[in-house]
Amino acid sequence: MSTAPTTEVRTDCSADTDGRITFRLRLPSADRPRLLLVLRPKKGRPEEQSYTLDLETCGEHGHVRAVLEPRPALAEGRWDAYLLRAPDAARERLRPGLRDLRPLVDGGTRAWTSPVTVRVPYATKDGFLALRAWRRTAHVEAGPVDIADGAMTVRARLHGAELAEDAAVRLRLRGGGGTERSYRPHPAGGGAFSFTVDCGELAAAAAGSRVWDAFLRPAADAPPVRIGRLFDDVADRKGVYVYPRVTVGGAAVRPYYTVDNDLAVEVTAAG
Amino acid sequence: MKISFLIHNAYGIGGTITTTFNLAGALTERHDVEVVSVLRHREHPNLTPHPDVRLRALVDLRREKDHPLHRRPARVFPSAEYRHHQYSELTDQRIAEYLEGTDADVVIGTRPGLNVHLALQAPQRVVRVGQEHLTLDNHSPALRTALRRAYRRLDVLTTVTEADAGAYRRKMRLPGVRVEALPNSVPDPVLPAADGSAKIVIAAGRLVPVKRYDLIVEAFSQVVAEYPDWQLRIYGKGEEQDRLRAQIETLGLWNNVFLMGSASPMEAEWVKGSIGATASDFEPFGMTIVEAMRCGLPVVSTDCPYGPGEIIKDGEDGRLVPVGDSRAFGAALLELIRDDERRRRMGTAAVEHARRFAPGPVVAQAERLFEEAVAARNSGRRGGPGRAGTSHALISRGHAARDLAHAAASGALRTVRKGRR
Repeated sequence: MSTAPTTEVRTDCSADTDGRITFRLRLPSADRPRLLLVLRPKKGRPEEQSYTLDLETCGEHGHVRAVLEPRPALAEGRWDAYLLRAPDAARERLRPGLRDLRPLVDGGTRAWTSPVTVRVPYATKDGFLALRAWRRTAHVEAGPVDIADGAMTVRARLHGAELAEDAAVRLRLRGGGGTERSYRPHPAGGGAFSFTVDCGELAAAAAGSRVWDAFLRPAADAPPVRIGRLFDDVADRKGVYVYPRVTVGGAAVRPYYTVDNDLAVEVTAAG
Repeated sequence: MKISFLIHNAYGIGGTITTTFNLAGALTERHDVEVVSVLRHREHPNLTPHPDVRLRALVDLRREKDHPLHRRPARVFPSAEYRHHQYSELTDQRIAEYLEGTDADVVIGTRPGLNVHLALQAPQRVVRVGQEHLTLDNHSPALRTALRRAYRRLDVLTTVTEADAGAYRRKMRLPGVRVEALPNSVPDPVLPAADGSAKIVIAAGRLVPVKRYDLIVEAFSQVVAEYPDWQLRIYGKGEEQDRLRAQIETLGLWNNVFLMGSASPMEAEWVKGSIGATASDFEPFGMTIVEAMRCGLPVVSTDCPYGPGEIIKDGEDGRLVPVGDSRAFGAALLELIRDDERRRRMGTAAVEHARRFAPGPVVAQAERLFEEAVAARNSGRRGGPGRAGTSHALISRGHAARDLAHAAASGALRTVRKGRR
């Protein structure tokens, strides 16, 4: 975490359907102010990527705004927002104001093209303004998950690639040296499909408590595409989209979203 | 005027703090305003008051929680008050000193126990305004008895609804006290209002049993059966969270009902929805109803005492349904979901009708109340026009006797129980 000073000015932002983000704040006295976005590095690593936007005067009362255009696509991760009041000023971390994300809410109903890029402004747990970004060549957007009779059925849609006849859903054992289970997608037209996982069979496939990450191979020779849920205004899905456990034999099986909003299945050994 | 608000703890979170800060901030435009917090437990308040509002505390718990006087139970702050356990001889003493030394023209108490302090200890020159953010009927008989004695010495008593003001006039004999409803205000929204197209129902508040989120969830299974693409978002945190999560699983609603956690400010969340929902068994006012309406959402609410019925015009800008009836609640939601045109029309009406709760009109009313009370006190009267008369004396005496009997009986019961321990 940064120890940069904090400005108490709240920054409002709004999002467009095409990914454009507009930031607005009140800054009565500043000399060529800029807004700085810094990709949060992994723990203990230095910051490597940042993006600077000019803050331009708009309207009266010292309001300024910066526009983050849809392109270039930001690298996947969490981008922290800072204010640079003047060319040589130290950066100040920004606090979030109103985030008008209405255009993002029904993103799942639209067709997306490659590369699939998503940006969701959000408030960090410690109350600062940040941006979550995803950038994927292709993406599978998960929809409703039906859980019944010891099986789960996921409805999903492929974006940015073609769903071929020989496509396959793969659950890959995390830390399992390439261990995978394969499932047949049932096409529903327009890139939409569903697949069903037998929870008992999955629990029996590996001993102990395990996590399986979900992918789709759109065609037998195509690279795997992550299955996740990115197309709305929810920046952190894990604690919000919560699915029930299926108890089979001595294990509990539960689909869930990872901290990156990707779909995974957790198998917990009982006892 | 110099105006001083006396509040339990301005550093926490809650409806009373929000509405007090809103009113205090708006009054700074023409008056000198301070907020005096009895308790303080942190450096910065959770909600930021207007920069012109002076904020200070009487007891700083970070340094004084082990003060010997703070371990002895309060004597002035009534023992039947909800928060008596947080008050002490130390708070008694500090509040008395503050009142004795104040140079304010008007002092405003913001909860029953503080109104009692004000009534008993404020100097003659000061106008005493008691605010009730809860309701008389919800107070225990013992508290009602304590308030009945003290509140006679107030100049003005404000409630948040007309219904509660009516209860005070009917059930308490407060000669010379002006009793008037002063609703909570909700700041003007900044974002454009919701357009009614999103397939989202929104509820928000603390997740506590009285708010009956379980009823909204249950009702929503009717909605999902007919409209599987609609979702319900519940914002807030609290003790009910695990129970609601379990209910969502049992009813199979995990694809449609979401516990979103708390969000601040809520405005950007309200505008994502098309219908607001509140299902409380009891709601002294209903701040979230007004917030949702000001953002363009018609609200489906239970018709509980007292707030919702004074905010929503049934069928025009929202729906009122009987308390505790999930079938009726679900049917009311479906009425608005089925009819896009009607939903939009009601959303537009909601924005217009909820303007009466904007800071402008509410602050103007408060200002007028305070000014008239100051003028009345200066001329040797109290309260000003519209005082509670003596015609209800007989009725209120009946209520007083009943409360006394209840209070005495429960007091005796407590004594018996203590004796057994």
